[in-house]
Amino acid sequence: MGQAPRSYAKSLQNTNIHSEPVPFFHSLGAGWRQFMLSYLIRRMFIGLITLFLITFVVYGLVRNMPGTPLTVAAAESDPSKTLSDADLERLNKIYGLDKHWTQAYFIWIGNVAKLDFGRSISRKTPVTKLIRERVAATLILTVTSLILTYMLSIPLGLRATVRSGMVEERSVSTVLYMLYSLPAFVAALFLQIVVAVKLGWLPLMGIVSDDYETMNTFGKAWDICLHAFMPVMCFTYGSLAYYSRFIKSNMEEVIRQDYIRTAKAKGVHPTNIVLHHAFRNTLIPLVTMLGLTLPGLLGGAILLEQIFQWPGMGKLFFEALTGRDYPTIMGLVLMFSLLTLLGQLLADVFYALVDPRVNLS
Amino acid sequence: MTPRISFTSLVICIVVLAGCSKSKPVTSAPTAGESSNTNTTSTAAADVAEDVLLEPFDPPPLEEIEAAVTWVDQRVVDALELRREAEANDKPLVTLDEALKMRNDSSEANQKILSALGQLPATDAEVNWDATLVRHLNGDAKSMNPLMASSTSEFEVHGLMAFGVFSFDWEMKPLALADVTVSWQTSSDGMYDKVVIRDDLTWSDGKPITAHDVAFSFQTIMNPKVPVPAVRAGTDELRWVAAYGDHTVMYFHKKPSPTNIWNINFPVIPKHVYEESVKEDPTMANSAYHIKLEQQPVCGGPYVITKRTQGQEIVLQRRDDWFKKDGKLVRPLRHFKEIRCRVIEDPNTALLALRAGEIEETTLNPEQWITEQTNNNEFYEKNTKVTGTQWVEFHFTWNCETAYFSDKRVRQAMSYAFDHDEMLDKLFYGLYEPAMGPFHPSAWMAPKAGLKPYKQDLDKAEDLLDQAGWEDSDGDGIRDKVVGGKKINFEFTLLCSTTPNSLKVSELLKQNLDQIGVICNVKPTEFTVMQQLEIEHKFHAAMGGWGTGTDPDSTINIFGTGENRNFGSYSNKEVDDLYVAGRQEFDPVKRAAIYAKIHEIVYEDQVYTWLFWRNSFYGFNKSLRGYKFSPRGPYNYGPGFDALWKAVP
Repeated sequence: MGQAPRSYAKSLQNTNIHSEPVPFFHSLGAGWRQFMLSYLIRRMFIGLITLFLITFVVYGLVRNMPGTPLTVAAAESDPSKTLSDADLERLNKIYGLDKHWTQAYFIWIGNVAKLDFGRSISRKTPVTKLIRERVAATLILTVTSLILTYMLSIPLGLRATVRSGMVEERSVSTVLYMLYSLPAFVAALFLQIVVAVKLGWLPLMGIVSDDYETMNTFGKAWDICLHAFMPVMCFTYGSLAYYSRFIKSNMEEVIRQDYIRTAKAKGVHPTNIVLHHAFRNTLIPLVTMLGLTLPGLLGGAILLEQIFQWPGMGKLFFEALTGRDYPTIMGLVLMFSLLTLLGQLLADVFYALVDPRVNLS
Repeated sequence: MTPRISFTSLVICIVVLAGCSKSKPVTSAPTAGESSNTNTTSTAAADVAEDVLLEPFDPPPLEEIEAAVTWVDQRVVDALELRREAEANDKPLVTLDEALKMRNDSSEANQKILSALGQLPATDAEVNWDATLVRHLNGDAKSMNPLMASSTSEFEVHGLMAFGVFSFDWEMKPLALADVTVSWQTSSDGMYDKVVIRDDLTWSDGKPITAHDVAFSFQTIMNPKVPVPAVRAGTDELRWVAAYGDHTVMYFHKKPSPTNIWNINFPVIPKHVYEESVKEDPTMANSAYHIKLEQQPVCGGPYVITKRTQGQEIVLQRRDDWFKKDGKLVRPLRHFKEIRCRVIEDPNTALLALRAGEIEETTLNPEQWITEQTNNNEFYEKNTKVTGTQWVEFHFTWNCETAYFSDKRVRQAMSYAFDHDEMLDKLFYGLYEPAMGPFHPSAWMAPKAGLKPYKQDLDKAEDLLDQAGWEDSDGDGIRDKVVGGKKINFEFTLLCSTTPNSLKVSELLKQNLDQIGVICNVKPTEFTVMQQLEIEHKFHAAMGGWGTGTDPDSTINIFGTGENRNFGSYSNKEVDDLYVAGRQEFDPVKRAAIYAKIHEIVYEDQVYTWLFWRNSFYGFNKSLRGYKFSPRGPYNYGPGFDALWKAVP
């Protein structure tokens, strides 16, 4: 899920000094708010510089990869319809490929500043439109998968803590680890063969059926659900082991604390101890991780989207890379970079909000 | 591992790809010094605005041309009828029921299935005229403007919805389509082609299709500001195209040539739709108007696009207004009422979709053909499979500019070192025939006296290397030679694609060369990277393949000196002269001899080590009939796809 920011890691180490569950929010004074504002401005300034550096480096890399959008087009064309050198030069000029990449980068960034993200060279479509078209499909996969992951891994993690070392816990862990090591594309093909082709229970691929437009609203929603079922399953099962073990390891640290022992001594019901005293402390890093998943939510999954013909962002990125579609690559890189920076900022700010001991300065 | 491909890994992917370049970064971008030159000119648009592709030309009056030339009639035919006549005496080798029950496990079985299921309908009553066909596209058709077509998927979709006058049959002989053409004549001096198009043709918006559309399309293709990716090649050989009235089109050639016929075959777009818009937006893609047209194009062919979901599906409906006038059929109806072109890039998913009945035809790769996935009951429940010879050859390209392969004897040694039998029998299960030069043995331009295929002969390979000066002078087991005063080992890099078959063949060469003291480092390379390195001649050797053009002249850009597909920088004046002669020779027999001679020379020079002809493999739903293979597969010829049909249930 990405690397935890420094302040977050530091605070994780500090969680063991708690003697009481951490209050989720605390009152904010005017000085604190002013400090927060200046902190945000500083972080945004640093963010802008980072964004500039990321896009500059990536632009340099993609423009220096062997091959151009025209190389790909030429390779696909009929042998007797190959581009002449003069035509190649004309097209290079029209698409701005004749310019040195540094010059082209500053033209691109200048256009971005005017909110013009350019057009896909291969698809002749504005990059913003291409991304907009893919966002919904990607979010259906990733958000559903994320919700499912949290909904399943939290009870699994808690149960594993309570039953730690018992046969039940070990069995569940073994199964989860087996799933963790099973590549999603293998599972996808297996599910396709069994569930879609042999049993015919679910659609094989795509996002909607042929008669989608004739369906009523409920029918349409149900149709998308049916199509999304297998991709979401493949997208989710691998994360279960990771998240449930994350919860378990955090919980195990917390339940060794004095205040848990105190709660036990006071005769608090074990379920209450786990849910109200221990879990609330482990919830903090878990919730903070949400901020870091932000870019992942729009990232999609290349292989799964390819196998299920799911029109998502991962597929778009892959196609753009193989086709050397520079404007699309850069549009996506910019979006992911922005979301990564935003996610980290949110995670830090959120952590400072919930834990006053974190010093943002 | 977690199934998600993170942003970080994508960036790493970019970094790795960028690192694929061996020497300095390979890019189409000029150096800083060069870019400063471009700065001295103004904008790109202004640059190309000054560019002129067509010299001014004032077409003479029609009467003047008519008085000066003698016309020779050319073929105007219904391609489907042509095939029906050609196969009138062919009888199926088995009955339909027998063919549907057969397993395609031998070449005899393949012949039987093709003979029965490839039949055209005997009568119209047999055809289900309301049928829908779900066709597979292995990549998205990115533009619906026929002028912007460059990929196979685009040509396949445009073949259904775009207006075109010319085609060619399964022997790749040109023809004008009777659906749209009244007559086609060529002047006896070879300087003009005259076509009269029918007066009952309309675009999908109801406006008539006229000769002015053809002339306008030519002008648009030749407009340097319009970013035409592929179809300008050949069209730019024309002097001019003019409309005389609404139905007569005159093509003016720069000089007489047997290849002129291929230059007049370009896509046609509606003048009334694009005439003004192309002036405002020469990209034909950026303006809101053009964006809308991409989604709902005005079609001039037998089908119209009714729905387009980018990257997923294109739905086409048969145009009643194209086939009927006043309720009466004026040209033969196409067999399918609706065609759904479904985009599936992943070949495994495509095969599963075929098995599930979600698509009704797809290409198969050799692994799919040979393995259980197309041999079991589940596959044959709804489908069958067929194969046909395709003029697509694979080879190792030797870069003649390098010290290793500049000597013909070294290239020949490579061909003798390679174990061709192992490749054909073991790696490809006997599915492919060996390739011996650029033209298929059954082609009209191939040498009539069969050439001798290379067989592995390590002794001969070693002798040739010795003769070329590559000997193991220091006893380290690796051959070496003094080049430019410096001793170099015979150690080269072979680029190949990342597909399993390319890797297997390349590894086989590596093993073979190990035995004669030559080190071959196999480098699997991303397709685009490989293509760019080859274009820039920055490689030692590479594995690749070429499909066939419609005329042998198209190979000039492979073997002609300095041509754009001549990745190995081969240069032979005799070959160059023969290509020039081939463009001037009208006698078919003499012309065939010219290309046969080219074939013999490049084979003798082993410009490539030719490996195999790759077959075309297809899976078809059992409800489909009418397929027949041409050298360009089952579709890309006349009638090709139009011959497919479904029987009345």
